[in-house]
Parts: sequence; C-alpha cells; structure tokens
Amino acid sequence: MKKTFALLLLFIVANSLTYGGGYQVLLQGNKQTAMGLVGTGITLGSESIFYNPGALPFLRDKYSFSLGASGIMSNVVFQKEAPSVYEAETDNPFGTPFYIYGAGKISDKLSIGIGAYTPFGSSTDWGESWAGRFLIQDISLFAVYIQPTVAYQINDQLGIGIGFIYAMGDVTLNKALPLTGSDGSEAGVNMEGSTANYGFNAGITYRPTDQLEFGLTYRSEILMEMEGGDANFTVPQSLAASFPAENEFDAELPLPATINFGASYKASEQLTLALDINFTQWSTYDSLIFDFKTNTPSLQDSRNPRLYDDNLVFRVGGRYKANDQWIVAAGAYYDMPAVKDNYYNPETPDAHKLGLSAGFTYSPSENFDVDASILYIMGFERDATYEPGKFGGTYKYNAVVPGLGINYHF
Amino acid sequence: MKRISIYLILFIFVLAACTPEIEEFSPTQGEADLSNFVAVGNSLTAGFTNGELYLEGQKHAFPKLMAEQMALAGGGDFNQPLMVDGTGFGNRLMLGIKEACDGEAGLAPVPYDQEFNPENMISIAGQGPFNNFGVPGAKIFHLLTPLYSNPQGGNPYFARFASNPGNVSVMDEVMATNFSFFSLWIGSNDVLGYAVSGGENTGDSITSGNLFQTSLFGILTQLTSNGAKGVISTVPEITNIPFFNTVPYNALVIEDEATRDALNLSYEQLGITFELGPNPFIIEDQNAPGGVRQIKENEYVLLTVPQDSIKCAQWGSAKPIPHYFVLDEEEAAKVEAAVDNYNGIILSVAQEMNLALADVNEILSKSVTEGLTYDGIDFSAEFITGGLFSVDGIHLSKRGNAIIANHFIMAINAQYNAQIPRVTVSEYQGIPFP
Repeated sequence: MKKTFALLLLFIVANSLTYGGGYQVLLQGNKQTAMGLVGTGITLGSESIFYNPGALPFLRDKYSFSLGASGIMSNVVFQKEAPSVYEAETDNPFGTPFYIYGAGKISDKLSIGIGAYTPFGSSTDWGESWAGRFLIQDISLFAVYIQPTVAYQINDQLGIGIGFIYAMGDVTLNKALPLTGSDGSEAGVNMEGSTANYGFNAGITYRPTDQLEFGLTYRSEILMEMEGGDANFTVPQSLAASFPAENEFDAELPLPATINFGASYKASEQLTLALDINFTQWSTYDSLIFDFKTNTPSLQDSRNPRLYDDNLVFRVGGRYKANDQWIVAAGAYYDMPAVKDNYYNPETPDAHKLGLSAGFTYSPSENFDVDASILYIMGFERDATYEPGKFGGTYKYNAVVPGLGINYHF
Repeated sequence: MKRISIYLILFIFVLAACTPEIEEFSPTQGEADLSNFVAVGNSLTAGFTNGELYLEGQKHAFPKLMAEQMALAGGGDFNQPLMVDGTGFGNRLMLGIKEACDGEAGLAPVPYDQEFNPENMISIAGQGPFNNFGVPGAKIFHLLTPLYSNPQGGNPYFARFASNPGNVSVMDEVMATNFSFFSLWIGSNDVLGYAVSGGENTGDSITSGNLFQTSLFGILTQLTSNGAKGVISTVPEITNIPFFNTVPYNALVIEDEATRDALNLSYEQLGITFELGPNPFIIEDQNAPGGVRQIKENEYVLLTVPQDSIKCAQWGSAKPIPHYFVLDEEEAAKVEAAVDNYNGIILSVAQEMNLALADVNEILSKSVTEGLTYDGIDFSAEFITGGLFSVDGIHLSKRGNAIIANHFIMAINAQYNAQIPRVTVSEYQGIPFP
C-alpha cells in the first residue's frame, strides 16, 4: 500500500484545471464524479474518507478499498478586449488527479481509514510569447492530501468522523519580464517551490430513515507557506546585478476551507437521487506576495492582488441499478467563479461553469467493481480584466474529464 | 439498449471536447474611408527613433502601425520613403556600456555599432506616391514652403523623397496623392528646436501663435478640401520628456568637506553656499550677478550635457554649465505657454472641422503623473526604464509608438463610429539592453 502510493506519486504530474472555482479540484471518486460530483450526503464507498468521514461506519463491508484517477483535457481561449483581433489559446498539459483510499471497521461502532487525494491543482500554459506573458506564461500547482481518519457511529442514525490532513504542495511558474536583450530576447523569471502543512476534514452523517441521508462536512483551510523557493531570473547581462540569478522567495498560497452539505434519497430499490452544496471560503485569498530574499532597486517584493470571492457550487445526481452487475449514473452541477471580473489573472481561468457527467459501475463479482465516469465542463464566456496589469478580454473555457476507478471490498 | 445509450452519451461528450469558440471581432471603418491613408507631420510621424530615421524605426512608426490595423477595416497599402538599412543618416544611438572619465562604466546612449551607409542619402522619389509624409525636424510652417525640399538649405530627409526638390512643399506632395483619410501631428518642433538648444540666444525660436494658427488652418483647409476625414493630435508638453528630466537639477553631490569649503570660498562674493550631499548645479546666466547662479528646482539640465565635464572638469560647480545646456525658468515658461496656446488652437480647430482628436498631450502627461500600464507592462516618462521613449530621450520607442497608434485609433473610432482594432502593445519589442 505504501509502496503503491509512493509509486503513484512518482508518476503523477498532477496538473489539473479548476473545478469548484479557483484552483480546487473535486475529482476524488469516480462514482461521485459520474453523479455530478455529489458525495457529502451519499455513502458509496471508501471515497467517503474525502467526501464525508462521518459516513465510514455506514459502509456495508468490513473492508473497502478504492483507487482511481481522472484525465483532464482542458482548453481556454482568449480574445483581447475590443477593439482587437488578438486571440490566444492555452496548450494545457494533460492533468491527472488521483485518489487512493482504504477503510476498515475495527468494531461495530468504530471505523478507521486512510486516503491520499489531490483536492487542489491547476495547470495552465499560455505559451512563452502570448500577449499576457508579463502576467503569466505557464503555471502548475498541485496539492496532495494524506488523510488518516477515524469515525464513530453514535447510533443507527448518526455517524461522525474526523481526519487529520497532511498536505504537500508544489508550484512552478514562468512569466516574462518587460526587459529586452540586445539580441531581442526577453527577460523572464522561473519560480519553483514546495511545502507542506496540516489541517483536518470532519463530517457528520445522519440517516433519519432507510431512504434518507444527510451529510455535513468541514475541511479546514491549509496555508501553504513556501520558504526558500527558487527564483531564477534570466535578464540582459548589463542588468544581471539588479536581478540576482539564483534568488530565493517566500510566498503563501491558501488552500481554503470548505463547508459542504449533501442529501440523498432512495426513491426505489433501483434509483437513488442526491444533491450537494459546496461552499469554499476563497475570500481568504487576498493577494499573492513574493518576498524575495535579495532585493535590489529594480527587484522589490511584489504584492499581486487576487481578492477572490467565496464560492458556491450546486450539484445534483442520480444512480440507477439496472441489475446486479450494472449501475448507471448521471449528474450536473453549476459552479460560480471565485475570481472577480476585474482581478482575473489568466493564471487561473475561472468562470461560471456547467458540469455534466455520466458513468457506470460494473460489478463482475460481489467484492470487486469498476467505476467509469466522464465529465464535460462548459465554461460560460466571460469578459474579465486583470486591473493591476490592464490586461483583459473575453475568456472561454471547457474541459473533458474521463475517469476510471476500481474498488475492492469484503 | 442501456449500453448503447451510454456510448451515445460518451460520443456526444467527445464531440463537444473541441476548443471553445468566441465570436471573432469584426473590424469596420464606420463613416471614415480608410482606403488611402496619409500621415502628415514631423519626426514622430516619420518613425524617427534613437536619434535617427532608419528602416526598423520607420516600420514601427505609429502611422505605419495604424495603417496595419486600418488594413483590417478596409485600409490599403501604406508606402513609406524607407531608408535602406538601420543606419539612416548616421546619427543613430543605442544603449551601451560607456566608460566615464573616472573609469566607472555604466549604461548610456552610445553611437550605433554599424557604419553609416551613404545609400541612405540617395533620392527615392521614384518609389512614390508615398503615404507617410512625416519629415524629421519639420515645424508647422515648413509643411507649406517649397524651399523645404531644396537639397541645399532645405531638409535632407524631405529632399530625399520629394518628387521635384526645391519646388514642392510637403503639402504639395500630400495633395498630389489621392488620399481618403489623413493624420496630422505637428507642432512639437515649433518649441522643441528652441528648447533642446537651451532656449534664448541659441539660434532657434518658438513659432508664434499667429503663425501656428494660420499655418494649421492652411494645412487643414487643403487636407479636407477633397472631402477626406482625418485625425489630429495635440502637441505634447515637451518639458515632460526624458530629455529635460534625466539630469536632476541638484545632482552636484559633494562628498567631502574640503571640496565644500573650497567652493564656498570661491563663491563667497556671489553669496552662494554649498552643503555636503546634493546641491543645485551652478549654471551660466548672463542676467545674474557675475554671470553665474545656482539652478532652480523648476529649471532643466538637458540630457545632452557632457557628463564627463560634470564628473571630471568641474562643470556645474567650479565652472558653470553653459546656458545652451539649460532650459531656465523663463525659457521653460515660454515653451509651456506656447504649447498650451497651440493645443488651444488645435482643440478648437478639431471641433470646428469635425476631426477626430487624439489627445497625446494628455496621455504623456499621465505617464508623468501616474504612469501608464498596458498588457502587464508599466510605462513612465523616465529615461530608458520608463519604456515610452527611445534612447534619444525625445522620440518614441517601439512600444511608445504602439501606445500612440492606439490613441489615434481610439480617437478615429470614437469620431467616425469605426471599429479599427488596436495594436497589442506587448507584441512590440522593448528597448534592447546590452
């Protein structure tokens, strides 16, 4: 298990585009993804370690394991503020968020579990020479959470659970600097850093009847405090003293707190319907401050306002059990932007988004299932500007995200 | 059946996976006829930059950039009297490393590193008709006189492309083309010649308001006589440009007491005293007692003042800075009053004749007071680092030309209900550093 995880980490370049506003990614279970990413108020397997730790005691089997990943293919197109014929398009790398969970019941009341998953990530590549390169050329950030979890069933209706989160984050970005060399080359900076911090994920599951389930969870904010990240400047030779080549920087990136409410209703033996509301406290992301270790008159610390808004996502989904082998599922969600119209930095393309999803679970045996999901995200056209850099226009986003998972439970 | 429907859904999703689309911007010329655009003016219109008119500068002249955008909205070709290479008439500057008299090396304007090519002097009149009638050095009344094309005593830049040197004025040449739209940006040299030579007693004078008004009226009457529409610009407040603001008035820095005491002693009779740290320069002034005095805060030392003479030959301290390197209070006031007067005339004429008005003065003033930002690049009126002005401290850089082109474009769009697309400022190169 430990080995598998280490291997996975090695292979993964988790570079996903944004779901749930800002740079949040909620692809932590393929059964949930197929249903419009609901999961707070519906217990489907060990993925509840992420979606709602309070649901663990309600798992049917004594032991449950899940493993899966998604592939994100995203595009953003840009047209500069009118009157202009300038257009640009991202060439985003294929993102692969993943999850791995294991849960077991120690006694009738007590369950434990552990999970590793990637709830935040963003990878956007506008290219080296596009018109907004002084704001961003490319950025890749991701966070992996490892979460040991304990849950307790208070009575037949009520379960509570809490997980301790160890979060590891990594960010790499490139941007151009408005300085030109005598050969026409342009200056730039590459910044890279990684860090880790702690937090928690707590949840309650309440089942008033056999048909009805409610869930409420809170994941705490984790502030990724980067110290001693590498800042490599490439500048014309005569300016080298003003931009020390192997500089370092400190910066803070918040992974905001979320509050999630969900409910599900078993309409019949075959059909279950569910909904979810996710609230993410993005307003904590006020500005991105780069504190350089060596300052010069030309290189001051930079404060870049972000001024995010809190964000809400509404989700609905359903699953239908066709027979003992096949369950089909579908869902939809509506996601509101965390990024303001006038503080829209193309490093994080954000918009009103509609997500449509579908998928199935195939169970060849009683203990083993395969989940497949596909998610299509349609961003609504958005006119936005990054006011401090006076750079704006119309942005439009879409993504297709196929995913695959396996489960073993006994 | 259910399986088929799943495949169907998958198929639909995959189809939808293509890049999102935004409706394309469609440029229009509105009530203007952009088919044959001519630009009339001085060095700024010609694409003069880094102290010289040369090929690459001409390709980035603001009217050339405008014409490229106009071409998307019904505009035609824009033929320029191009130089053959990057040397022009041989006065080009670039940013280089210069060793000062005290051995310290630093960034400074230095002569361009390629040898002057005499082919640039050969007449190219045969390549006309032209669209760019920007003549470096032209004052407003020069545009109306045939003497200006004379190879002897006229303007060599104009003589080079005039169809009948010595007998045609710039306006004669313009009127001989079949233009449908024009830009006119003129008036800077009417004060600049005076100001860059340090004002009074230097052989150049400020064009009077009356002459400016008469000439402007004459030019615009001709330009609009065939029904063409056009755009006209205000004259920048030239004391805002780096040429006048790079050498601080108080850059005489005294570091030791011996130097201070020696200066105090020698200027004792004139009542001038010095302190450790920054002091105002000593300048030549024939009206001051002893012919010298300290420079005032609102007076300007020109960019062309020999830095080595200040550093190593005691200019500005033991010896006064000659008057032709200083624009004093009175001279600066005359320059500013003249520009205000010109701009008043331009504003009222533009309104009267229903022309589009590009208020370049406003935008350049803004670059001084609060700075400008485009595409994530900050601009100011600072020399070199400000990004707007070229290495000569007077003329625009490539990005400066792009910014000005956009102001002309937006003025045309507003006046004539057109939708000419702006240029993308960040697509143009910054000032090259060694």
